[in-house]
Amino acid sequence: MQGTGVGARVRRKEDDRLLRGRGRFVADIALVGMRELAFVRSPVAHARLRGFEIPDAVRHAVFTWADLAQDGVKPIRAASGLPGFKVSEQPAMASDKVRFVGEPIAVCVADSRAEAEDIAALVSAEFDELPVNVDMLAACEAGASRVHEHWKDNVFLETSVGTPFPAVAAAAPVKVCRTIRTARQCILPLEGKGVVASWDRQTEQLVLQTATQMPHIVRSGLSECLGVPQDAIRVIAPDVGGGFGWKGLLQPEEVVAAWLAMRMDQPVRWIEDRREHLVAAANAREHHYEVTAYADARGKLLGVEATAHVDAGAYSIYPFSACLEAAQVGSILPGPYEFSHYHCRTYSVCTNKPPIVPYRGVARPNVCFVIEQLIDGIAQAVGRESWEVRVENLVPPGKMPFDNITGKHFDSGDYPESVRRAVAGIDLAGVRARQRQNEPDGRLIGVGLATYCEQGAHGTAVYHGWGIPMVPGHEQAQARITPDGGLELRVGVQSHGQGMETTFAQVAHEVLGIPLERIRLIHGDTGLTPYSTGTWGSRSMVMAGGAVATSCRILAQRLRRIGAHLLQASPEDSVLAGGCVRSGGAEVSIAEIAHTWYRAPQLLPLDVDPAGLEVTGGHKPKSDHGTFSYATHAAVVAVDPELGLVDIIDYLVVEDAGTMVNPMIVEGQIHGGVAQGIGTGLYECSPYDNEGQPLASTFMDYLVPGFTEVPHIRVEHMHTPSPYTEFGMKGIGEGGAIAPAAALCNAINDALRPLGAIVSDAPITPRRILAAIEAAGATR
Amino acid sequence: MNAAPSNARSVSLTVNGRRLVGVTTPRTHLADFLREQQRLTGTHLGCEHGVCGACTVLLDGEPVRSCITYAVACEGRSVTTVEGLADDEIGAALREAFSAAHGLQCGFCTPGMLISAWDLVRRLPDADDARIRLEMSGNLCRCTGYVGIVEAIRRVLDDRKGHR
Repeated sequence: MQGTGVGARVRRKEDDRLLRGRGRFVADIALVGMRELAFVRSPVAHARLRGFEIPDAVRHAVFTWADLAQDGVKPIRAASGLPGFKVSEQPAMASDKVRFVGEPIAVCVADSRAEAEDIAALVSAEFDELPVNVDMLAACEAGASRVHEHWKDNVFLETSVGTPFPAVAAAAPVKVCRTIRTARQCILPLEGKGVVASWDRQTEQLVLQTATQMPHIVRSGLSECLGVPQDAIRVIAPDVGGGFGWKGLLQPEEVVAAWLAMRMDQPVRWIEDRREHLVAAANAREHHYEVTAYADARGKLLGVEATAHVDAGAYSIYPFSACLEAAQVGSILPGPYEFSHYHCRTYSVCTNKPPIVPYRGVARPNVCFVIEQLIDGIAQAVGRESWEVRVENLVPPGKMPFDNITGKHFDSGDYPESVRRAVAGIDLAGVRARQRQNEPDGRLIGVGLATYCEQGAHGTAVYHGWGIPMVPGHEQAQARITPDGGLELRVGVQSHGQGMETTFAQVAHEVLGIPLERIRLIHGDTGLTPYSTGTWGSRSMVMAGGAVATSCRILAQRLRRIGAHLLQASPEDSVLAGGCVRSGGAEVSIAEIAHTWYRAPQLLPLDVDPAGLEVTGGHKPKSDHGTFSYATHAAVVAVDPELGLVDIIDYLVVEDAGTMVNPMIVEGQIHGGVAQGIGTGLYECSPYDNEGQPLASTFMDYLVPGFTEVPHIRVEHMHTPSPYTEFGMKGIGEGGAIAPAAALCNAINDALRPLGAIVSDAPITPRRILAAIEAAGATR
Repeated sequence: MNAAPSNARSVSLTVNGRRLVGVTTPRTHLADFLREQQRLTGTHLGCEHGVCGACTVLLDGEPVRSCITYAVACEGRSVTTVEGLADDEIGAALREAFSAAHGLQCGFCTPGMLISAWDLVRRLPDADDARIRLEMSGNLCRCTGYVGIVEAIRRVLDDRKGHR
């Protein structure tokens, strides 16, 4: 790979404006006459909302659900087609009941945010408090108060995957049981949510400029809530300051802002502040597992059985629903391993906390945390190194492509080799030697591994199976040659840090040879781009990048046809290469062909395709099962047994993204994912008290890994192209975040082994480590 | 425009080399003053409680959190934002290195990173990676895992050492 096409490590086109402070994020937008919004949010977790006290002086500036309902605005509704799913209805502001602290109950309008907050401080509401469901297991017990009173219990959905295998279980030589909890996290892009809503009098459209990963889906959801046809709504994502899932939903605040802009005939702006985000959007990754692995005496897995609970919060979010996460747990808990018996029951539990949103990797960081602890447990039980047990159980390359026990179709790769390379790269032998000598500072050294595979670029069947409001599978891109020979690309996905303005240009350059600086990507705007479900699930490069390639290939045919005519050659004897059509020794540039098409059509062949130099092409991978990138992460830690502090002293990722369009960007995605995974593993937690009050509402309480918590992260690449996609690309955006918590947990337990202590819940805080050491001391 | 509120205060200061007099209120923080009144939207607000560092600007040459600095407290002082680094030599070197080392993804934390890095480059020409991490630990990034940022700053330091 060379030049600036697919595989080149080129700098990003988007960097310059961002480095000069010349990007345009939603909070940077100011429209003439724009008003600012502040929300009044529920101070209690579960209560009947009896009414409001609003001083007369500000009554005109305060709106509640009653005002929206009067205009026919409907609650947000995200049902699933899975049998037994219970539907929640989420009014954009609470109507008769509040169900979590931070739920919007009224909105205040003023000329500045500060004045809007002044008004919000004057609004009070009367509540009849109800018993609060804080813990997902307690919420499942008979007699728990019901979050949605017309339901028979607090479970959105119960699923069962596989079948029980009591005979195999009873005869298994090795049995490893774990009870594992992972904490509720805040997704926390550094830019929060935000929206500017206005009415465009010329196009007669509601225009929503909003920090979203999925403008087309937001438009559909808004249309359903507001009763406005979709052609009368335009959703635009400006520069977006990170998403990771938090910007992949229709937000209640978007519905309110849109309604207000129409109602008041004035632009309105709402910018989520950090405290709102930490309180009302603490919404990811809270799971509980009871799990048992069965193995033979060598450590070969015989079966896994599990009961998993996911705290899905109070409402089903649009479009992913409240069941996506738990349903994924059931289907992906087996990880990259091959075994014969599996049974998993899952419960999506409704509690008095914010609704859950799929966060980078969705349920994978959790199930990886679980299955990788089991692998290490088995290794310990059979007296082998955990890497040997991993290699013994991973799907071997000779069986690829492989359909696993839950029907996941692993496309390609050498999973065991990623383990072997990680073991060599982390110098396992050296770490073991170091462990045999006591550290001068008394700290304990440990090494841990975690392996996963990650389904990206999901197809139609799996989402159709879940029956949620959004089903992906195809993607389109528009490619248009400009009259001076440049190229405009239009895609419906949205780039918020992934560098698509660069990577999609690299794909187009690969096909057409137009230089990167003459290629412009237009994205994230329903008015300008083809429909797309948006940027999520490690899909954009494979799906929209594939569609860019398709469109450019069609363009190439048309360019070749015209170019050949200008060269007085036959199209069959002409090639498009290096930005020119060539035949024999003669050539004509794309710029000259473009000039001919747009400005001198009298020179065109008479039978030229009148569709011209503008194409909408589509892409669907050859397999509907998506791509499977994979990796093994290896961590070396030093644990202070007196203080419980953990230092990560080495971290290595050996990954296979198939064909990388831009290795620099792939590595950046992995680095960032690992940092987030370190947060999951060691630091991040949104705790709640017994009344459902969130206890982490500032960055002093909610610990985000910083420069000194994240080590230098080493990345090694393997290259197994997917057989099903353009260029062999695989989705990679989420992968880095999947394995760190698992690798760190295994490393910490390796360090604690001399003390007989074991940790199994995330985050692995100093307090938990000290408690584990104390418990081990008590039992010895 | 709206009428000035009754508690309006005027403040005169220098922003990116330009002297100006602004009207603000006692509770308005410097970041809102810069963003909403001066339309210098390069300074970003990530937390508004002085932790994330996205809003870091230079006040008389030293980095401060503009979200916990009142605009009225800047009377007679000089503020430099990321826009003010446009023609600055260290600013240019940092921009080049951040791009080359992939030290930014979404770009939201980037202005604050550049300001903090500018201060580091001026004060600590011999900083090693560990010191870079310690000095930059008042700035949060959710995208890059910090690898590219540390690399970028080290490249600038190394390059300047070569020219000393």
